Formats: sequence, structure tokens, C-alpha cells
Amino acid sequence: MSKSEKKIVLKSLDNEAFEVEKAVALQSQTIWVMCEDKCVGNEIPLENVTGQILAKVIDYCKKHAVVDGDGDESSEELKNWDTEFTKNMDQSTLFNMILAANYLNIKSLLNLTCQAVADKTKTIDEFHTFLNIENNFTPEEEAQICQENLWAFDD
Amino acid sequence: MSSRIRAEKEQSPVPPPSLITCLPYDIIVDIIARVPIYYYPKISLVSKSFRSIVASRELYTSRSLLGRTEHCLYAVLYNYNTDDYHLSILRREVNNNNRLVIILTLPCMPCSVSYVPVGSKIYAVGSSSSLSIDCRSHKVQSNSSIPKYMYEKVPGIINGKIYLIGDDKESHSRKRVMVLDIETQMTIKPDLELDQFWYDAVVMEDKIYMRHSMKSFVYVPKESKWESDEMLNSKRLGKCVTIRVYDPKQRCWRVVKGLKNSLPKRRHTVWSTMVGYDEKLAMFFQIYNSNVDEDVEISTWCAEISLERRQGGEIWGKVLWYDDVFDDGCSFMVTCLAVAV
Repeated sequence: MSKSEKKIVLKSLDNEAFEVEKAVALQSQTIWVMCEDKCVGNEIPLENVTGQILAKVIDYCKKHAVVDGDGDESSEELKNWDTEFTKNMDQSTLFNMILAANYLNIKSLLNLTCQAVADKTKTIDEFHTFLNIENNFTPEEEAQICQENLWAFDD
Repeated sequence: MSSRIRAEKEQSPVPPPSLITCLPYDIIVDIIARVPIYYYPKISLVSKSFRSIVASRELYTSRSLLGRTEHCLYAVLYNYNTDDYHLSILRREVNNNNRLVIILTLPCMPCSVSYVPVGSKIYAVGSSSSLSIDCRSHKVQSNSSIPKYMYEKVPGIINGKIYLIGDDKESHSRKRVMVLDIETQMTIKPDLELDQFWYDAVVMEDKIYMRHSMKSFVYVPKESKWESDEMLNSKRLGKCVTIRVYDPKQRCWRVVKGLKNSLPKRRHTVWSTMVGYDEKLAMFFQIYNSNVDEDVEISTWCAEISLERRQGGEIWGKVLWYDDVFDDGCSFMVTCLAVAV
């Protein structure tokens, strides 16, 4: 296999180009299908992902490709790496990572990022602030929900 | 809590659009499915769309597919001052500051009923009424089609059918096993007669084990046959802190190791009941305390123990937490249940 066949170029929404090993990129089912169909050349445009997010996705894929390839690192180490990877991501990055993982169809990354959001949102304050969702209940509706779930709220 | 959020919102009248609304619906469901069930009442308060997700079937399908189905602990408490039976739930808190909380939105439970968890529901079947409680919504449904016999024991469920043991209609000195098909709500009456002297019945590995005063039996529904199991009777179950586990494969009792001195010895412990789930065991104890006026007050304690099978078949336990979970002073514990939701 020639050098060019082993590498692939991923182009982000904002025209940032990333040259990566094919094995790294093919963890994305979407890219895999694109390559299979031979409808693209060596350069794959990814119109839904910004360069900033794509760089992180590639970091993740590189890490997981290496481990799957030579089995050097234990699954424990990989788990720790995953935890560190999402630990300090802000809300916007995390959601954009979910959207990217969904679009690129990388199941394990989607699992990881969805779990990270679930872990960061366990109190109602966290839900409101982290998810930035407007509370669209009237005070009466809110009181009714509290009443229905009295066991969970009374102190 | 929420009023404070509302006040904060008023200070910033134009909030930036939420990114979560850009996520596909199934991903939002996936995220909520990963959150422990104890947070769901709080998630219901986030917004109308979140409330409808919490009430949706697909959320629970998603939990099941992700392997996130959890066991919630329920207990039936009898208040001897009011003569009422209440269903309560163990409310999990951070730092294991867990409490049994009576679910006041549910009606009082009928008396003389036996309880059995079936999927995410609790079936309460008895002589005067039978009902089921949906543990996802805490709504009650009456099951009028269940024949109202005096079911003394409901050992459990095998292949979607509840096994009930009650009096024979013709002769009260004999017991019969009834089978209730959950889907059709029909009872099937297998031709089984039991001696009336038996202590307890449990379901293990799709068989019903019945402890008898002299010998014990195993009923295998698939083959409709009875077998005797002498070993099951070889240990008297006394009131002590030793926990024994019966291994139905090897037909032997094993003492759970590693628990010595990890459960505080208490005087006046009068009653304990336990339930197994997810390789864990929850033990509830009731402790009598006399106060200055010599009135007796009852408090309920709970210990959650994780179980691990080690090489050679030894079973080791570790007390995860142990605490006073309920102390209204006047409630007896009737039974405890672990329900998968």
C-alpha cells in the first residue's frame, strides 16, 4: 500500500484540513461508508464539524486506534484517558462533540460524551444551568409535579 | 429551588439558545437514560419536554438497552396507631444518607395481601383485593380479575407467571398452588396439593423452594414435578447476624464471609427481613427502644451489602452502608421488595 493510500484528509466546516491515518478515520462509520462508496477522493469534506471539534474527535480516534492496534495500554488506562478527555470540557464543546460523534457515527465517542453530560447534570440547578433550558412551567404546574413526586422532594 | 432559578432568569432576559435543543430527540433520551432513576422527579421539573420524556416508554426501553435498569427498594410499613399499611421507597441521597419515605400519593395498601415485584410493577394480591403499583409513575391499578383467595404466600415469578400459594377452596386443611399469567390476567390452577405445614417459599433459578417443618420441597414448573431437597432444611434460620446463602446448584448452605463485626450488634433487634438484587442484599432491622416514659418506640435500620462469589464458591459480603432509615416510632415493617425500573 502506498503512503497516500494509508493517509486521508478530513476537511472541516471552516476549511481546516487534517491529514490522518486511514485506520484512525475509519472508526467513523460515516467516513467508512464514504470511502467504501468511492464517491470521494482522498479528501473528505465534513460539513457539520468545525475544525476545533474535529481536532478533538481526531485526538479521541488516534488514542483508540493505537490501543486497538497494538494493545499496549490496558483498558483501565484507556478509561482514565476517556475520563480526563471529557472532564474539563465546557457545555458547548461537549454538545458539539455529541453532535459530531452522532454525525460521524462513532458509537464509543457518542457513548462517552452522552455519559459525560449525564454525569454533569444530577441536580435540578445543574440541569437548568448546564443544559440552559428555560423552565416553561407555571408555578401551579410546578407545584403539581412536586406534589406527585412528594417522596422525592420533602425533607 | 426553582423560584431562585426563575429569579436568575429574570435578571438575564435574553438567554442564549440552549444547545441541547439542537440534539436529536433520541440522544436527549439516551442522556436521561444514563442518569440514576432517583433524579427523575427533579428532571421532570426542568421543562415540559423533559417531563414528557421522563414519562415516556422509550426512556425505559433505552435504560434497558444501555443496561441502566436499576433496582429501587420498597418497603411496606404497618402503622399500629392508625392501622394503615403504607408503601414506602428508599430515597437515595449523596453520602448514603438514605431514608425510607412513605409515598403519600398512593392510597393505603389493603391488609392481608402478599407482595411480589413483576418487572417495574409491584403486585399486591390478597383475599379482599388485588392491585398493582407502577413503580415508574407510582400509580395504582386495581386487578379485579385476580380471583380473591387467601394467598398466604407469593413466592415469585417464573416465565411471566406469578405463583401463589393459598387455601384449597374445598378443604382449608390443604394448600394449592395457583398460577397467574400476567399478560392475560388469567389464573391457571395446576393440580398441586400441599401439606399445610410449611414455613416459607422462594423462587430461585425458575424453581420454587418450599421449606417445610420436617423436609423441604422444590417444585419445577417446567416439568410440573416435585423434588425433595433435604439440604434446604439442614439449617435453622435463627435471629443472628450470620447470613447464610443457599446454593441451589451445589445444594448447600454457605455462610457469607467478611461480615463479622461489620454489622453493629444491637440489643432489642426484633425483626429483620432482606431482599436480594444486583449481587447485593438489603437487610432491614427493626429496633425497639424504650424512652423515659417507658413507651416502646420502633426504629428501622437498613444495611446494604454487596456480595461477591470468590474461587471455590465462597461468598464474601461487604457492608456498603448501615443507617437508621425510618423512625416514626410506631411502624412495623411488613416486607421489603426490590423493583427493577
